[in-house]
Amino acid sequence: MAARIICRQNKLIKTLICRPQSTMSAFEIQHKTPLIKKTEPIPVALYGGRHAVTMLPGGGIGPELMSYVREVFKYAGAPVDFEVIDIDPSDESIDYALTSIKRNGVAIKGNIETKSENTEIISRNVAIRNELDLYINIVHCKSFPGVHARQSNIDLMIIRQNTEGEYAMLEHESVYGVIESMKVVTESNSERVARYAFEFAKRNGRKKVTTIHKANIMKLSDGLFLDTSKRIALEYPEIEHNDMIIDNCCMQLVSNPHQFDVMMMTNLYGSIVSNVACGLIGGAGLLSGRNYGDHYAIFEPGTRNTGTAIAGKNIANPVAMLSASVDMLEHLGHQQHATLIRRAIEKTICEDRIHTSDLGGTAKSTDVVQKVIDHILESDIRPWYKRY
Amino acid sequence: MSLVTRQLPKLLLQTSQVTASRNIHSSIANSNAAKADSSEREGTRIKCTLIPGDGVGPELVASVASLFKNTGIPVDFENYFFSEVNPTLSTNLEDVASSIERNRVCLKGILASPDFGYLGELQTLNMKLRNALDLYANVVHVKSLPGVKRRHENIDCVIIREQTEGEYSALEHESVKGVVECLKIVTAKKSQRIAKFAFDYAIKNKRKKVTAVHKANIMKLGDGLFLRSCEEMAKLYPTIEFEKMIVDNCTMQMVSNPQQFDVMVTPNLYGNIVDNLASGLVGGAGVVAGASYSANCVVFEPGARHTFSEAVGKNVANPTAMMLCAAKLLNHVNLPQYGQMIRDAVNKVLLDGKVRTKDLGGQASTQEYTFAVIANCKQPQIQQKK
Repeated sequence: MAARIICRQNKLIKTLICRPQSTMSAFEIQHKTPLIKKTEPIPVALYGGRHAVTMLPGGGIGPELMSYVREVFKYAGAPVDFEVIDIDPSDESIDYALTSIKRNGVAIKGNIETKSENTEIISRNVAIRNELDLYINIVHCKSFPGVHARQSNIDLMIIRQNTEGEYAMLEHESVYGVIESMKVVTESNSERVARYAFEFAKRNGRKKVTTIHKANIMKLSDGLFLDTSKRIALEYPEIEHNDMIIDNCCMQLVSNPHQFDVMMMTNLYGSIVSNVACGLIGGAGLLSGRNYGDHYAIFEPGTRNTGTAIAGKNIANPVAMLSASVDMLEHLGHQQHATLIRRAIEKTICEDRIHTSDLGGTAKSTDVVQKVIDHILESDIRPWYKRY
Repeated sequence: MSLVTRQLPKLLLQTSQVTASRNIHSSIANSNAAKADSSEREGTRIKCTLIPGDGVGPELVASVASLFKNTGIPVDFENYFFSEVNPTLSTNLEDVASSIERNRVCLKGILASPDFGYLGELQTLNMKLRNALDLYANVVHVKSLPGVKRRHENIDCVIIREQTEGEYSALEHESVKGVVECLKIVTAKKSQRIAKFAFDYAIKNKRKKVTAVHKANIMKLGDGLFLRSCEEMAKLYPTIEFEKMIVDNCTMQMVSNPQQFDVMVTPNLYGNIVDNLASGLVGGAGVVAGASYSANCVVFEPGARHTFSEAVGKNVANPTAMMLCAAKLLNHVNLPQYGQMIRDAVNKVLLDGKVRTKDLGGQASTQEYTFAVIANCKQPQIQQKK
């Protein structure tokens, strides 16, 4: 009897999760959704059709890439106002950045350097993700036809658990000379990721979801992740589900990447796989990544490198950050501006073949940006807002 | 006849001035033609709903329209006659609201509210439009104008007013004969929303301080809720200073030391009063621009809501407020160069002090003033594809 009640409640919970969160009452969020962190949503910063967005330029090439984004937005007429926050290595500034993201709901960010190897100080990027509960990271790996790369026609979706696993940052020395690092996998977080992956596949017409794991060695932790994804897969009979061990997956990725469609995995594997996939299609300068939580979203370049070595030399590839800004516009619902900028980027890279040195070209960053702006000015879209 | 003869020299002078100005602005239009060609591809122009309003509204709007036309600003107006005092000719509310929703921007004159309603309705047309579009935040930027001498100098404050609830809820009834109750509604949701709007406005425009204006010592629950919502929101904005002030003290401070204010956030009725008070300090209803925001659209309208109906047809009204509204509109739709152009031109005309309308102590007509502004517009350099 009790079991049956639990089952029924489970069903109720599931239907609630599938509902968009904005339509739930405060009571429902508090008592009927165990998976949503209990934070009061703050009203969205949208005034007169213009969004306010937090911009964290970060270190290395971040600031210059952000200036390109602003430049492109100016010409594309995107109705977005940036609140730029420079993070220096102090706790106040990171706190301020977090409140700003909470207020605005959306942020675009470069990589923030955590220079210190000091054990006291945790990585600022991880701190931001944990504090805002951004449990999903998505990298869309899609080949650019004009870029010379190892593999062509790749179209992968890498969905990664973003807040726990190996990045739980629980390490200690139990006996002198013996360090234990904990990898934390929870059922609730695994379920959120699995559900997101399948829901994503369903909505975007994807055929297959692959779970990447190492459950043959870590039978309990990765086993839980795998079991959860199998359980959720039963609810989506129209989507094919299989699983693959991480080492095999890496090999398959470089030899035959076309077999993959949507991939879901825990934190560390996600980091590895997305970097492998980025390398396959042409390097760190092309792909954008998205981080989603229940209330907030952060957009950033797909591979998290600061590129300090090439900062200020005008050779960094601006495409990754521009793609991130396009993702952001899509998220905010400015589909038209997003399409406008995306097409301009694709034309620049694939037709005009204006490539920076990381793609084997000779162009400067500013040449790429200028060409993108030229394409934007050529297209017949009005510079403000259009309902379609 | 004698009247005509007496006026004749003046008339001649006026016509000569008018033709001179025409020549000036027609030459501007010509020089623009080449540039306009490249920018006037289909779909690159902005559409804006236009509601001329009552009183001198149509004259002011005509002045702005000629300013736009003669400086080549790529904005097209969708004109709607919308009026409560002339209900037979007025477009219905749905059409106007859907046009504003579609275009997302609107330039609006002031609508007169008749003292006497034919239908016994308590809501005015203005309120209906605001409620239909959920235009919850009214922003009035009160700024001293260069060259205009007033009692106070260097006033620069922004008054943000909640305008969909409070005393304007239009809920009044006579419970017992001789006893009328008017309900003032304050909700946590809308109070938070306006408070967040005010702080976000302060952040975006690099302001330092937000002052909440209230009367929570008397209306402990209603205004208390508003005040508490502001206080809660203030915690999220550690870089912005927050203070609160009781409305009666606020009005006194406003006339004695208005420079202390930066951004003010107020409930509905207090906002209305403070708006008008502050407008009076810098030169009256003809020079202060305002805007009403909803989540998705903005209606730009003069800050102090007076129709100035006694001046209809006399060509004396001051179009500065409407021009500054237009400048704000251009900023909002990503044409800040043009917005700056208009603002610079208006400032220059006021600073020169030669062409001024009557309310600022001059003798110029609306038209002369408009021509002077047009003549002072300097075309911005905009990157265009060859």
